[in-house]
Amino acid sequence: MKAWIRSNGIISPQLTYSASAFPETVTGIFTDRLSCIEPDYRELINPVLLRRMPRIIKMGLASARLCIDRAGGVIPGGIIVGTGLGCLDNLEKFLVEMLQKDEKITTVLPFINSTHNAVAAQVSMLLKNQSYSTTYSHRGFSFESALLDALMLLNERKALNVMAGGIDECTSDFHRLHSYLAAWKKPLNNLDLLSANTEGSISGEGSAFFMLTSEKGIGNVSVDGVRFFLSAENADPVEVLEEGRSFLLENGFLPGDIDVFMPGLNGDSRTDGIYHLVYERLFAGKPVACWKHLCGEYYTSTAFAFWLASEILDSQRIPETAMINKKKTGLLRSILIYNRTGKKEHSFILLTRNTL
Amino acid sequence: MFPRVFVTGIGIITAAGNGADENLDSLTALRTGIGKLSGFPSIHNNIPVAEVKYGNDELAGLAGLSPGDKYTRNTLLSLVAARQAINSSGLRQAGRRSGAVFANTTGGMDFNEKYYLSLLQSDEYSDYISLFDTADCGEKTALHFGIKHNVTTISTACSSSANAIMTGARLIRNGYLDTVLAGGSDALTKFALNGFLALEILSSSGCKPFDRNRDGLTIGEGAAFLVLESEKTADPQRVICEISGYANANEAFHATSSTAEGTGAALAMSEALKTASLSASDIEYINAHGTGTEINDLSEGAAIMRIFGDRIPFVSSTKAFTGHTLGAAGAVEAVFSILAIQHQVVMPGLNFTEQMPELSFIPQVRSFPHTIKNVMSNSFGFGGSNTTLIFSKVQ
Repeated sequence: MKAWIRSNGIISPQLTYSASAFPETVTGIFTDRLSCIEPDYRELINPVLLRRMPRIIKMGLASARLCIDRAGGVIPGGIIVGTGLGCLDNLEKFLVEMLQKDEKITTVLPFINSTHNAVAAQVSMLLKNQSYSTTYSHRGFSFESALLDALMLLNERKALNVMAGGIDECTSDFHRLHSYLAAWKKPLNNLDLLSANTEGSISGEGSAFFMLTSEKGIGNVSVDGVRFFLSAENADPVEVLEEGRSFLLENGFLPGDIDVFMPGLNGDSRTDGIYHLVYERLFAGKPVACWKHLCGEYYTSTAFAFWLASEILDSQRIPETAMINKKKTGLLRSILIYNRTGKKEHSFILLTRNTL
Repeated sequence: MFPRVFVTGIGIITAAGNGADENLDSLTALRTGIGKLSGFPSIHNNIPVAEVKYGNDELAGLAGLSPGDKYTRNTLLSLVAARQAINSSGLRQAGRRSGAVFANTTGGMDFNEKYYLSLLQSDEYSDYISLFDTADCGEKTALHFGIKHNVTTISTACSSSANAIMTGARLIRNGYLDTVLAGGSDALTKFALNGFLALEILSSSGCKPFDRNRDGLTIGEGAAFLVLESEKTADPQRVICEISGYANANEAFHATSSTAEGTGAALAMSEALKTASLSASDIEYINAHGTGTEINDLSEGAAIMRIFGDRIPFVSSTKAFTGHTLGAAGAVEAVFSILAIQHQVVMPGLNFTEQMPELSFIPQVRSFPHTIKNVMSNSFGFGGSNTTLIFSKVQ
């Protein structure tokens, strides 16, 4: 089953909300934490609702709104969200208050807002949409799971249009706790992330929704397949190569057919090796586009990658700031995204351009 | 085109017992697992809860791990129930495409509660950070049993594991996998206890589903898993029943409440009947969500009346035995629904004395033999997330 990408709505550390196309100029700042460039939410969400609304729900609602508007107001027959961390900010708030005040809670609102499905629920409520709704919350498989579910829903003919998204917010506490695990580099210009060759990455965040449809002829780009799997702690490269090959084969492709390879390089010298290996063994000489220097590392960054890939295939141009090797490009018909999260989680997403 | 999906293994651990037999015995004997809080100190220890009667080291033993390992209580519960499900099905992965769909709401919250404040000051307990989230439990459980592909976790509040079972079944129906371990788990946490208490929906005496004088839910803990297999690869000797129907609908009404008419619940039930190609009169027993809160039992009851009219099947909520196990509830109740088919009995509720004036039916209060071909299991969660599963006897 493949699905066509009808529209997107994306809020990210780049200026991506105002137009669906890749921005003319990209943001490079000196930091160890990339935050989203957010729209004026009052233009997208009823201001009465905005009061007391957690930031992640604002980001989710606004990007879902953009996605629906760009799809011409089409009503999705399913709303599927992937979020690695859920509404962590409110979870932390409720947890800390409970612990610090010895269970003498003063407000229940953070508890309500801490549920992982709060974003999906608010989107359903905003749209008064009673169709299928679910939320996957499994680190680096969250967006991939949402995408797979959307493909199934379309295959089952339960819906003609399904909105799937990936959303995560970096909180100060999350950033601090993960700094103990040496997850982040010392501050640097994010545009230099991939060539830093030191330990750690830059933390990121974002919210990206996509209207997917089974209707042919809508949209130029389709998602053809998604696969995710767990490896041992130290991934055996042979296993990853085998998974990549068999995933492509399952979709009727050989590695040589892929026009652009998008590896999830995040500048961490401890873990980037596997991406280089997959490139050399399967995609040597192909153009390579990357995304984590633009949006940072987070559990659903593949939603940003998915958007970037769809824009590359749609525009037939790899933005200079995303391309890390200067290979000559011909017709761009297919892109493979390969991402690894932590030590064990691997995912592949295949997108193609229909006719050129 | 879409293959049928069979249940070939079940596993369960709740306050009402460890394993399907113990749980069934407790229900038959009308013995509740609800009691006094003992797992952690709390100023709210006067509130009844439904705790699994094993400490973490004992759970580690039941899961075949060495005591003292770094496992959250959620993961320990998950490993115990998954092990039973896999052993009872003889889950054969060789030559089959296998995957796992997990569910929980609070992940490793017990470790969060212990270490979070000190982690805000220093990195002394940084080894535990990776245990906090919703993914840790499923990842450890899957790897323990050698499952690598399509390992994921659903978190849709109290309908989480019903959705996990639905997703598991759909992965098989859509041809992605041959066999799936699907279910969910949640440990009792101070976080959830305080949250539900602050929402003022906890019962002061033990939940009384579908009773006029119900005063709230009782929070519980547990885990339950099903092994699902495609009809194409399942060993006919091991087939327990079929997942014939499922549906998920969102009420799109309120973050923590439902409509008095139960619009979302009715939609989930009617859509599930449609996917099963069954009519309402084919259902003999409904294992209700039946939390015992004012609004749930009212809206679920209204929805049942709307769907089933004057031919309402036997209805009960087994939460009076297990408490509301949150992310595990859908899977726990799927197991009770399956046991009803396996043993041809209606499952009882408890703590019922007076009919709700708004409803035309009363819940069953004892277990009794009856022909059971099709069972409906409801799970509803915060965020308007409504899921209905239908299990059917394989003819």
